[in-house]
Amino acid sequence: MKQPTYNMESPAAPLVQRNWWVYLVLILVCLVNFVPYLWVVMTGFMDGASASSATPAWFFTPSLEAFHYLIVEKGIMKNFFNSVIVSLASTFFSVTIGMFCAYALARYDFTGRDDVSFWVLTNRMMPPVAVLIPIFVTFQTAGLLDTLAGLVLLYTAMQLPFVVWMLTGYFRDIPRRYEESAMVDGDTWFAAFRKVTLPLMMPSITATSIFVMILSWNEFAFATFLTSTQAKTMPPAIMAYSIGADIRWNVLGAAVVLITAPLILFVLLLQRQLISGLSQGVVRK
Amino acid sequence: MADIEIHSLMKQFGAFKAVDDVNITVNDGEFVFLLGPSGCGKTTTLRMIAGLEMPSSGRIAIGGRNVTFLRPRYRNVGMVFQDYGLYRHLTVFGNIAYPLEVRRLGRAEIVQKVEAVARTMQITEVLQRKPDQLSAGQLQRVAIARMLVRDADVFLMDEPMSHLDAQLRGQMRAELRHIQKTVGVTTIFVTHDQLEAMTMADRIIVMKDGEMLQFATPREIFERPATEFVATFVGEPQMNILDARIARLEGKIVAMTEHFAVPLDADWVARNRVADLVDQPVRLGIRPEHIAIREMPDADHRIVAELYSFEPTGAENLYVLQCGSVMVTTRSSTTETAHLSKDEGSALAARFDPNWIYLFDPATGRTIAQAAGSDVSREDI
Ligand SMILES: Nc1ncnc2c1ncn2[C@@H]1O[C@H](COP(=O)(O)OP(=O)(O)OP(=O)(O)O)[C@@H](O)[C@H]1O
Ligand SMILES: [Mg+2]
Repeated sequence: MKQPTYNMESPAAPLVQRNWWVYLVLILVCLVNFVPYLWVVMTGFMDGASASSATPAWFFTPSLEAFHYLIVEKGIMKNFFNSVIVSLASTFFSVTIGMFCAYALARYDFTGRDDVSFWVLTNRMMPPVAVLIPIFVTFQTAGLLDTLAGLVLLYTAMQLPFVVWMLTGYFRDIPRRYEESAMVDGDTWFAAFRKVTLPLMMPSITATSIFVMILSWNEFAFATFLTSTQAKTMPPAIMAYSIGADIRWNVLGAAVVLITAPLILFVLLLQRQLISGLSQGVVRK
Repeated sequence: MADIEIHSLMKQFGAFKAVDDVNITVNDGEFVFLLGPSGCGKTTTLRMIAGLEMPSSGRIAIGGRNVTFLRPRYRNVGMVFQDYGLYRHLTVFGNIAYPLEVRRLGRAEIVQKVEAVARTMQITEVLQRKPDQLSAGQLQRVAIARMLVRDADVFLMDEPMSHLDAQLRGQMRAELRHIQKTVGVTTIFVTHDQLEAMTMADRIIVMKDGEMLQFATPREIFERPATEFVATFVGEPQMNILDARIARLEGKIVAMTEHFAVPLDADWVARNRVADLVDQPVRLGIRPEHIAIREMPDADHRIVAELYSFEPTGAENLYVLQCGSVMVTTRSSTTETAHLSKDEGSALAARFDPNWIYLFDPATGRTIAQAAGSDVSREDI
């Protein structure tokens, strides 16, 4: 007896075979994004001659000439560590302070709350260069020019509105019940915040931190104007190698490697934590 | 374990009074229900007792200690929230253990206590799961376990059963009542379900628009409601309320509705001075079970009506009768009314039991005269 065959597929389900082009698009996007970067990285490992040769080569003998020049002769690691300190510190301060601001905005009803929210938001609308000169003068007066503390202060202030704005929404999504329940169970407000709200907020805080860190790490305009020798960070330091008539491409490539590598590592590292945080909850006792 | 004293408690949100002049004394170990329609201020009252909301005025004492403005953690109350308030980042075990960890109990003691309470609430199998992997019934059990696990002076529960299906709710009613009486902790339970309150409570507080209408035992609430609102809020199907006028007919005091006269009990009329109300409008109340029906009118069953709808509920039948513009619902056992017609539009005769007629003031809603039947049984209330 012939068994009738049933088509078990829902008519709305996309056919699996048809999905090959999704991969094609993905591969294309990856190529477009990745190949130029790969090329820059490769250039960084070339010697001066092959980097500036008219016929680019895919295969060459790697050389650390450019890195040697940057690190030993130019001492770029000083700028590198300046960048690390400035971006870590400003991220820490802006996220910590911003977290409490956001919490207050999300949880408490006080006079002028909406005005504060709006003001925080509008802070982001202003192009930073508009205040370059006033800030320069202020820094000069306060003796903050070319100091790491000055940059940390400035970046913290710059990133705060963004942090507050991002986290306010996330805090609103966490029911107040959680803290209330913990307080009824005998916790202080701060303990409830630390043990209940913060773990639930961790993925959002991590995401915000990544963002803020990248912005601080890459900040160029203020760093150029407000630092000269002592506190110079990576972006203005590297700028020096990309101007002028005789650009040494391998040095520029090596500089790009130095400025991007930590970012890539950092994002990869935290992304894992972010994903695991989202999927299984953060604190497990 | 402690008693609760609440004195002229008031809470204002802006110009709006959510809770107004609430006075309650709950005895040690008592199971008290806060009953009222949605938005009447039940949750607000409970939150003030827990310390999550500060009263605008008034006084709250737990176990003789004035806690009116104390922070929640100094009150030692256990609470189940309307939406459970379980932490989604902790396992069920973590959730139940939380109040114990706050108190810095030893690990062994925590495990032992959590497992004991999990056995009581029958949630041992789900201890390692996260709240989002539980059914509503299990969630509710976890929330209750969390409240039971610590030795709180007072338990507060805000509509813990509102997410459960009817069958589960029925089971939980008996179980919860049993647990409350076993642990003997003073408990205030918020609900808008009159059946829950009637079946489980030692005493019920009926609230409406932030005001406390009556605070009494379920039986007294049912038999001697303080206002028309209380009378109609408890009991299912609800009490029939008819617009009437007190009149003198053939020398007797009766209640005249638009279409028929309702005879009243002479003793009761005398006791409640109903004669003083002659020619005044009243609201007449009678519960469906106190209206008897038969096929043909006789000396007693003088109210002639038409069957508007028939609703069998199993052991009992509901007959909705129409008499002119007046509708009344009656309830009688299926066996007694087996022979009656069930067709809409057929004629029936009804009798209002004079022992169970209530009179309410149309202006204030207050009860003018409690039913004679409740006077008789008054002694054992
Ligand atoms: N924080 C607040 N601000 C303003 N008004 C509020 C606030 N909390 C409650 N109310 C108001 O107070 C009234 C009582 O609220 P409450 O939550 O106590 O009602 P409820 O009796 O618990 O109702 P339900 O059965 O729906 O839970 C409502 O009208 C509500 O809108
Ligand atoms: Mg409520």
